[in-house]
Amino acid sequence: MFYLSMFFQYLSQYLKTRLQYRADVFVEFLSDLLSQAINLVFILVVFGHTDLLNGWNRDEIIFIYGFFLVPFAVFSAFFNIWDFNERYIVKGELDRILTRPIHSLFQIILERLELESLLGAITGLAVMFYAGSRLGIRIDWYDPILFIIFVIGGALVYGGVFIMLACISFWADARTSLMPMMYNISNYGRYPVNIYNKLIRFVLTWILPFAFVGVYPAAFFLDKEDWYWYSFLTPFIGVLFFILSIWLWNQGVKKYRGAGN
Amino acid sequence: MENVIEVKKLRKEFKAYSSRAGLKGAFRDLFTRNYKIVPAVNDINITVKKGEMVGYIGENGAGKSTTIKMLTGILTPTSGEIIVNGMNPHKEREKFVQTIGVVFGQRSQLWWDIAVQESFRLLKKVYKVSDEDYEQHMQHVIRTLDIEPLLDKPVRKLSLGQRMRCELAAALIHNPPLLFLDEPTIGLDVLVKLKIREFLKEINEKYNTTILLTTHDLSDIEALCERVVMLDEGKVIYDGALRELKEKWGDQKELHFQFLKKVNIKTVQNVTSGLPVEWEVDEKDQTFIAILEDRDELISQVIAKVVAAFKIKDVKINETSTEEIIRKIYEKGAVEVG
Ligand SMILES: Nc1ncnc2c1ncn2[C@@H]1O[C@H](COP(=O)(O)OP(=O)(O)OP(=O)(O)O)[C@@H](O)[C@H]1O
Ligand SMILES: [Mg+2]
Repeated sequence: MFYLSMFFQYLSQYLKTRLQYRADVFVEFLSDLLSQAINLVFILVVFGHTDLLNGWNRDEIIFIYGFFLVPFAVFSAFFNIWDFNERYIVKGELDRILTRPIHSLFQIILERLELESLLGAITGLAVMFYAGSRLGIRIDWYDPILFIIFVIGGALVYGGVFIMLACISFWADARTSLMPMMYNISNYGRYPVNIYNKLIRFVLTWILPFAFVGVYPAAFFLDKEDWYWYSFLTPFIGVLFFILSIWLWNQGVKKYRGAGN
Repeated sequence: MENVIEVKKLRKEFKAYSSRAGLKGAFRDLFTRNYKIVPAVNDINITVKKGEMVGYIGENGAGKSTTIKMLTGILTPTSGEIIVNGMNPHKEREKFVQTIGVVFGQRSQLWWDIAVQESFRLLKKVYKVSDEDYEQHMQHVIRTLDIEPLLDKPVRKLSLGQRMRCELAAALIHNPPLLFLDEPTIGLDVLVKLKIREFLKEINEKYNTTILLTTHDLSDIEALCERVVMLDEGKVIYDGALRELKEKWGDQKELHFQFLKKVNIKTVQNVTSGLPVEWEVDEKDQTFIAILEDRDELISQVIAKVVAAFKIKDVKINETSTEEIIRKIYEKGAVEVG
């Protein structure tokens, strides 16, 4: 309960700060919207040429990509921890976090909220509806519920993996950024559809389970019954990886060295 | 009285990496890096009682901040026991930090972009402080520290002194019984320093708040702390009353001379050669300072010789300052107080 109320406290502070510069908010919103529109056109153009890829047809691939954008947007809004190493470890801001009576990871998530990123979900939904209508997908009453569960599961998978990557900073004495590595991994995980290759499938399911952010849950809505089992695994893998990442974080915090001044 | 801080054989080691020379060295560094293990805090024992104000001093790199970070639960000790407010700081961190206040002079504890009062409001929720308690306590803090006019400004727009006063107020929102201050007066002007000292004294009297502070400004310690703990290379080299330290080491006098004509330090030294005197020059106002043992006979002798040799503008006899005493101790690296 306390954590929920703290979430709203930080949220309202976040909104207040953003709204202080009303003009900025508006301009930012427009530019975000514009970049999402460009993104949309880009997706359609890129996928316009492919017909069949790794066993999926064009519209299915577009649909999967659209689905992926939604958990990714949620992830970006809440797990804005790209610069964790620079900001919190090298500059030692974790000192401040650790002197406050709230779980350290939760505080960082609250401090770094980036709700603008949720706009990406709109693009994702638009892409899904476009592809879905071309595929003639029917929407059942339970679909929206499952959709939300899958999205949360996918976002947790992504969040979990990135928290674990951020945890490297606790052990490695890396003055350099972990960002390029995180970025590369995320790019690779962005859009894996190649789940028919056994090795790749294994990695993307059990090691860096990015398949649960896009292909597996999307397969459910595409009526790919072969993959249903994996689809329904999504929320469990999400929760599992997230719990693992919190455990790793708690171990890491003990290794925190602070910034020598 | 109960012990607020109990530390036994507390130790913190850091790995100090060194890079090898040359391209080949850099390449080898990629795989295995050379490092030395350096004890920043070396098996120290400290006990602090409720209501004490303790000055924690030592040269740069002595390990003061590292100790404070372990006492506040930020760093995990390499070995040793810590009990603060009856808890083990890093084991029960979230519960523990509710009972302490922390200020790091070198680093802001407040949120950079939001107005001071918004920070306070958020911290009030973080520490679960009730409205009545907040009103009653913080009104007073805000008034005493004179930060009312700063409340609606974002932290990044404050001057250092303004910010420090706000930091102090923020550390007190939950009215903690124990306060850690790491260089709270660094870079502040005299007025702000005085204000902060007065304020610390006041909360110590009013709430019996225990305060552990580090500083390089010994006048802070003289104004606030009866007890000092002195650290050198991670070891406690003195723990006791400031007064005793002064009595033991303050058995020296300083003779301050100003001359009418410009004089060379060499010639001054020659004049008193054979006597146990050390000379220093304060370039700013051309004061020559003789540091010697507190013996009337010796003092008269030195004055007589100097007066005979040069035309004098001003002479003063001073007790050695605390600064001087501490500097001596740092240089020797050990204290034997009987
Ligand atoms: N994160 C770190 N990694 C490696 N070494 C460190 C780290 N933090 C501190 N040290 C080393 O530990 C020693 C003690 O540092 P500490 O910051 O505690 O000194 P201090 O007494 O606070 O000094 P100052 O008066 O300069 O603040 C120093 O030699 C420092 O180089
Ligand atoms: Mg320090």
